[in-house]
Amino acid sequence: MRKHFSGPLGKSVVILGVAYLLLEFGIAYIPPLFGVDSGPIPDSVLLQYMVTVAIGILLWVSFNETLWEEFKAPLHAAMVEPRQRRTRVALIVLVPVLVGLMTFNSVRPSIAAPPSLRSIHPAPPGQIDFQGRSMELAGVENPLRSVGSPEEHYLEGRRVYYQNCLPCHGDGLAGRGHYAQGFNPGPASFQDVGTIAQLTESYVFWRVAKGGPGLPNEGAPWNSAMPAWEDFLTEDEIWSVILFMYEQAGHEPRTWEEEGEEH
Amino acid sequence: MLAEHLKIIGVVVGTIGIFTLLANAIPQVQSEVPLDVSFGADVSASELTASGELLFGSAGGCTACHGLGTRAPNLLTGNGGDGPIGVRCNNRVPGESCKEYLYLAMVDPNVYMVEGYSPIMPDMRRSLSNDQIWALVAYLEAQGGEVTVTGADINQGREDSASSASTATVDNGVAAPASSATDPVDILNGNACLGCHILNGTGAPIGPSFDGIGSRLTADYIRESILDPGAGASEGFEASLGLMPAIYGNQLTAQQLENVVMFLANRR
Amino acid sequence: MSILLDLREKKTSLNSKQNGGRSLLWAAVAVCGIVSQFVMPDFLLAQGSEAMRQYGDFPLVGSRVAIWVAAQVHLLFAAFVLGVPMFAVVAEAVGIFGGDSKYDKLAKEFTRLLLVAYSATAIWGAILSFLLVTLYPGLWLYLVEIFQVSMWVYVSLFFFESFTLYLYYYGWDLWSKGRAKLVHWTLGILLNVWGTAVMFIANSWLTYMMSPPADVTPDTAPGMVQFWSAFANATWMPINIHRIIANVVFGGAIVGAYAAYRFLVAKTDEERAHYDWMGYIGNLIAIGALIILPFAGYYLGREIYEFNQQMGITMMGGFMSWLWIIQAFLIGVLFLAGNYYLWVGMGRIPGAERFTPYTKWMLVVLVLGVMVWATPNTMIADREEIAAMGGTHHPFLGVLGVMSAKNTAVNLMILTTFLSFLLYRRANSRPTVTWARTATIVQVALFVISTFVVLFYGVWGYFVPAITRIGFSVYQVLAVLATIIGVITIDVFMLRGAESRGDIRWGQMPARSQYALFILAVTFTWLMGLMGFARSGIRQHWHVWEVMRDTSEQAATPALGYAAIVISGCVLIFFALVSFIFWLGGLAEKGTKVLSDTAKVEARPGVSQ
Repeated sequence: MRKHFSGPLGKSVVILGVAYLLLEFGIAYIPPLFGVDSGPIPDSVLLQYMVTVAIGILLWVSFNETLWEEFKAPLHAAMVEPRQRRTRVALIVLVPVLVGLMTFNSVRPSIAAPPSLRSIHPAPPGQIDFQGRSMELAGVENPLRSVGSPEEHYLEGRRVYYQNCLPCHGDGLAGRGHYAQGFNPGPASFQDVGTIAQLTESYVFWRVAKGGPGLPNEGAPWNSAMPAWEDFLTEDEIWSVILFMYEQAGHEPRTWEEEGEEH
Repeated sequence: MLAEHLKIIGVVVGTIGIFTLLANAIPQVQSEVPLDVSFGADVSASELTASGELLFGSAGGCTACHGLGTRAPNLLTGNGGDGPIGVRCNNRVPGESCKEYLYLAMVDPNVYMVEGYSPIMPDMRRSLSNDQIWALVAYLEAQGGEVTVTGADINQGREDSASSASTATVDNGVAAPASSATDPVDILNGNACLGCHILNGTGAPIGPSFDGIGSRLTADYIRESILDPGAGASEGFEASLGLMPAIYGNQLTAQQLENVVMFLANRR
Repeated sequence: MSILLDLREKKTSLNSKQNGGRSLLWAAVAVCGIVSQFVMPDFLLAQGSEAMRQYGDFPLVGSRVAIWVAAQVHLLFAAFVLGVPMFAVVAEAVGIFGGDSKYDKLAKEFTRLLLVAYSATAIWGAILSFLLVTLYPGLWLYLVEIFQVSMWVYVSLFFFESFTLYLYYYGWDLWSKGRAKLVHWTLGILLNVWGTAVMFIANSWLTYMMSPPADVTPDTAPGMVQFWSAFANATWMPINIHRIIANVVFGGAIVGAYAAYRFLVAKTDEERAHYDWMGYIGNLIAIGALIILPFAGYYLGREIYEFNQQMGITMMGGFMSWLWIIQAFLIGVLFLAGNYYLWVGMGRIPGAERFTPYTKWMLVVLVLGVMVWATPNTMIADREEIAAMGGTHHPFLGVLGVMSAKNTAVNLMILTTFLSFLLYRRANSRPTVTWARTATIVQVALFVISTFVVLFYGVWGYFVPAITRIGFSVYQVLAVLATIIGVITIDVFMLRGAESRGDIRWGQMPARSQYALFILAVTFTWLMGLMGFARSGIRQHWHVWEVMRDTSEQAATPALGYAAIVISGCVLIFFALVSFIFWLGGLAEKGTKVLSDTAKVEARPGVSQ
């Protein structure tokens, strides 16, 4: 058995196998051991990673002639040598069957909606109509940061959050409210570095005010259950809840780049 | 030598092929042109159907589900003996005509779910314009039925969406859509203008009379006065300055505003 | 989409409120769905019947694809024709001042390729302009109205460029000695000046379409547009710079592919040795310039954001966001293929065996880099997978989807590639200077420090606001650039008078490495097509962004898959034509025996850099 895995071909198979295990199960189950949140990766990403690894392996075995010959030798042997007839027959049967299965799998009709490209942070409009009046988004910061006491805004934001947002986005702002399981896509986790920490406050304002119905085309499919909060909250309430969210999640909002500044 | 050439061609074509496949393997998003059809009041049924047919296969994205696989009912064929959609639509929901049903199915698709399907269809107003939706309705009606969509339907829909575009809350009924009238007299009445201005002798003399206003003021001045009433007062009405609300810029659609301005400017 | 609609309606209503009397005209025209008002509003007002046609129709593929293919193929040839003279002149200079005649021969061979590709560029340019005139007459008239003077200048410069090229090539043997040679070299520089000027002018037209000056609105008559503000618009200079560098990369890659082809079909060892060396130079130019290309791209991106946030976001986060994943994959292929070529090439260098154990680890770094770089922020997944992940955003891998991770990955990939070059360069020489050991330690230290800087800022980027994080990418880049410059400087001095560990066995390359050169050329060509689509596509349904609307049937910007098919078509047309042209060039070469003395190359890699 050992000798099968000592040549470059054997090593390649082992590397591919280990990479597969790491990607499919490792990513999902190892980080939680260290207290880091994780989950299984989708097939599309798995495929992408595996192809990259496979290309890397092919490059490695063809670095120099000796390695390349050693890599090809077992394959060559399996194709021509009389005593490897069984392997050959097995390969000739298995490979087409595998390809057939894959083809069947990909064309099999299914009731599931097609996997779709949903941009989580679609491009925001430059201005929106907020409660019937036009409002600029570009360059806007939370107006509450410059007026009144931060403490008060925070408390107000907390009230708004607990009255309206809690059922879905949850107590810990991690998108794990009581109703969260019912939604697909699920409510956003504000703890995540990929959500509000990446966005300007005016972007968050836009998303809160317009909700799922206000998503532009590339945010499709339209199954976000987020209501358009402009119908229920005032402008100041929305700004205060945004303030609360950043404060509570411990993130800083993304700031606007200053006009004309060069880096 | 030939083998070498074939290999080279193979490598080149293969590389290009892999890139092409890769780009096609991801879900495809096309950036559609917003509002690219527009119909006049006397649009013919065949014009609508032709436009709808084009949309059905392309920008509408309908065929992604309808007609392929089992995600949604097939609209163009019998779908189990009921006939194509133009026949089915009349008796789908009691009380709704074919046209009304189809329109509703597009703007609020999950109200009347066809049994056995999941609610996956989006509100088509997000990706299509009012005119496009009506063109699709006409096209679907034409599948075995008679096209009843007219220019009036389209115009009505256009005004509805224009007036609700700024609030986008038709369904919740939170903000009432502004009047959709286009006749200037209706607009003036509907917005209570005659509470302060006089038209044809009726109304109150709090603001300048509309009778003969066109000989006193230019169209531009009238427009400015409607949009920004606090900018200045007409002679003799200085006391009323500040009474007129500055809301009409938002309340009127552009078309309504223009109709009113032109109407007034022509009253010499 | 509905938002766009809202915005548009808003805009119309704003206009009508401001512009008074004209607004009725606007409403009427908009309802008719005709955009001819840009050209001749009064005429339309007068009769409203059929004015001059705005769009032509192209059979089978349609106008959009026709103009797309014409522009793309023209651009590919033009890039080659502009990129090659740059390094031809440099090679000639190395030949003159370095005293190595084989570089002169190489420069001449480059120029011969140039000569045959030149007419193809002109032909495709003519095809492009005729298609533009016949298929998009409205847009054409609009542009003519603004740019007519620059069009005349363009044509005359083109004329000068052609004749300079003829003089440069046909005078090569005539002016080969002494002062005459310097004059000849000056001709080469002049050729570059004309070429660059021609490109700058053409760039102004297309960048105007992307980023017209802010004071140009839909109702600005084209005759009233200030010429200079339209010419030197917001994205003009960034595109100029980006294209100059990209042309060099592209020229290098195509020359590499040409050499690879000649290598594979070569009949004698002499030929093989020559074309092996030429392929090496092509690869060196392509990868060397590729390393600085991202910085020019970053500058261009910034200017686009600065010009219009909406446009920038559409490009990076909007419907084009997936394009950048494909781009990452392509650049990954470029890095892998370029490095692979070097690693395989070490097989023909005596003394390179010392470094073979390291290549494996450099490969690991590159593969990991490609994986990180191509990790999408938003993943494609079906319902069950999304439910399992808890959103389309992976809780763990999401960390790799943001800029910090990607900048770190690409900087490490650049460092690794540079290391490959360094080892390659070092492979067969034994430094004789006394301080060689210290210098090597300093070099290693530079690598370690810059790797640390890149990683440090990459990780720290997660803990600071975005605005600071953007600044970090500058530190990372500076660390990498400083390392490259520092290490190269030390190396040049250290290898002065170094002993050779044996001659490089030019020509003793396995065929695999030559296919890597092909993949490099094809990938780069395809990448240019893709970026062309991105640049042109972010205008969406506008001929001139927010000034002149595209009202043709095919105004929609197609999805990536469709674009990829068109791009592939362009690349195939380009390669088919290029092979034909090079084959013709090869025919002409027979009998003239170019390779007589170049074959006896005794180059060390140190010299060839």
